[in-house]
Amino acid sequence: MTLVRDLAFGRSGDKGDTANVGLLAKDEAAWQRLRRGLTPELVRAHLGGIVRGEIEIFEMPRIQALNVVLHNALGGGASRTLRFDQTGKAFATILLGIELPGGTAVGDEGADGPGEAPSIPRGGAESER
Amino acid sequence: MAAATLKLGAGAAYWGDAVEPAVELVRHADISYLGVDLLAELTMALLQRQRLRDPSRGWIEDLVPYLDRVWPPAADRGIRIVTNGGGANPRAAAEAVCARAGDRGWPRLRLGVVEGDDVTDRIDGWRRDGLRLGNLDTGEPDLDRIAGRVVSATAYLGSEGIVEALAQGADLVLTGRCSDNALFVGPMMHEFGWSFDDPDWDRLGAAVIVGHLLECGACATGGMSSQFATVERPWEIGFPIAEVAESGEAVITKLPGSGGMVNRWTVKEQLVYEIHDPARYLMPDAVADFTEVELAEEGPDRVRVSGMRGRPRPDTLKALIGYRDGWIAEGLVVVPWPDANGRAEFARRLFEERLSVAGVDPLELRVDRLGVNSLHGVAAPAAPADPAEICLRFAVHTATRAGAEAARREITHVWGLGAAGTAFGSPMRPREVIALWPTLVPRDAVQPQVRVSMLEAGR
Repeated sequence: MTLVRDLAFGRSGDKGDTANVGLLAKDEAAWQRLRRGLTPELVRAHLGGIVRGEIEIFEMPRIQALNVVLHNALGGGASRTLRFDQTGKAFATILLGIELPGGTAVGDEGADGPGEAPSIPRGGAESER
Repeated sequence: MAAATLKLGAGAAYWGDAVEPAVELVRHADISYLGVDLLAELTMALLQRQRLRDPSRGWIEDLVPYLDRVWPPAADRGIRIVTNGGGANPRAAAEAVCARAGDRGWPRLRLGVVEGDDVTDRIDGWRRDGLRLGNLDTGEPDLDRIAGRVVSATAYLGSEGIVEALAQGADLVLTGRCSDNALFVGPMMHEFGWSFDDPDWDRLGAAVIVGHLLECGACATGGMSSQFATVERPWEIGFPIAEVAESGEAVITKLPGSGGMVNRWTVKEQLVYEIHDPARYLMPDAVADFTEVELAEEGPDRVRVSGMRGRPRPDTLKALIGYRDGWIAEGLVVVPWPDANGRAEFARRLFEERLSVAGVDPLELRVDRLGVNSLHGVAAPAAPADPAEICLRFAVHTATRAGAEAARREITHVWGLGAAGTAFGSPMRPREVIALWPTLVPRDAVQPQVRVSMLEAGR
């Protein structure tokens, strides 16, 4: 079983009703595993009904980071939300608990091999399924 | 005459931030500018609430005691300060700063005040002219739903007013709402002689990204970090310094001997903080592209940042429209073992029934178990079957102040009418909600209104 926290560190914050989570891969193998494994669908399933809008995932390949953007996730934004965590500071830690499917070890490259970075953004179409 | 390397320090990341790191920087660091970010979206809502109650308030009043400690040593060393502590009322802030400068015999001070971000009185006219102020969060195409409840509207200015104030010789630039990074982009434009008339967008994009790395203070030097366990003396943390070359490339560092740390992880953490599409970070001074940014650790507490890119600044400015959106009441109740889970469920039921008896009709009600699921929601790991205690947090959103006052009373009734052993913390005073409506306004409709005025103060 691979958890996101085996692969990455995280930092999260808010803008309006949108939260974002930067996930920083710990090394090259972790980066490949993370960018292949983490999908908007997994994020949504992990967070239950918290995110009411779109979930986008952007890549920052030079620093081996994913930026997960959670729209309509903060109860209307910090000044009006009833959430205890008004500004989404804990979202990063929560996303580190996601279990990635497939491959059992860090560095499992899957079928398509390393080095073929998808275009950016790549997660924006989730809501159009 | 362009400087070879411009060194800028961060003097605060938010209202209430630690003051000591700023004092250390102006006393000991080899910097020319201190950028002091005191605002956040939430802060602007609080300030707007203050100003509604009292027209002389609505700015960051801590700015005055802050400058008491920071301005005299900064003046001694020729360090200029740029701050957005004017909040929702930069004119009142400037008057208070000048008064204190006189009272306390501060070193002579040339104060540049940048106004024009407040567009509250223009909303009606814009709407009459057919401008639709859609909500960037909800997608609502216009603000008809809240038009009668608008209390403020503030546009995020870029660095133009700051650059003008610096050109006029300001030692202290005091702004209202501008982009946080403009506090640093402004000095870079002024010192390097960059201009929007003949812009090099890659350099301006770089400036935005360097500003972004500084604007959250300790968040780039080991604060709020996944690396917290290895951060040195975070209680004496040093705020970040950027050593910026004319190309826009920069080294992020901190004052030697200060606590905290600067390495690729702390800089990456700040790089990804509160951004959306990293290829299009929309700011008033440029659209910055983070996707080619590279980091290199080039010494202890030194990280080189390169590869920043930029594209032309947008024709629109982001604006936040504040509107009255009811009231919130909030309070804590703690229930003990045995069967704390049962007692917590009982408390929740009791509260909901009491609201009904008291005739309170919440717009929204939230009951969290702090320590169990308040952060995680359904993603919470399984809680212990029979914990020693559970802290319940009740939060109620009501349409009226009276409703919030009543809800606050009912939180205490959970204790008075509830299960044995129920403890309570005093519920907070209900607060009025100023919700924020993020929208875009034409740059051309705002920029001509930006005014810079100069004041003299001190001895």
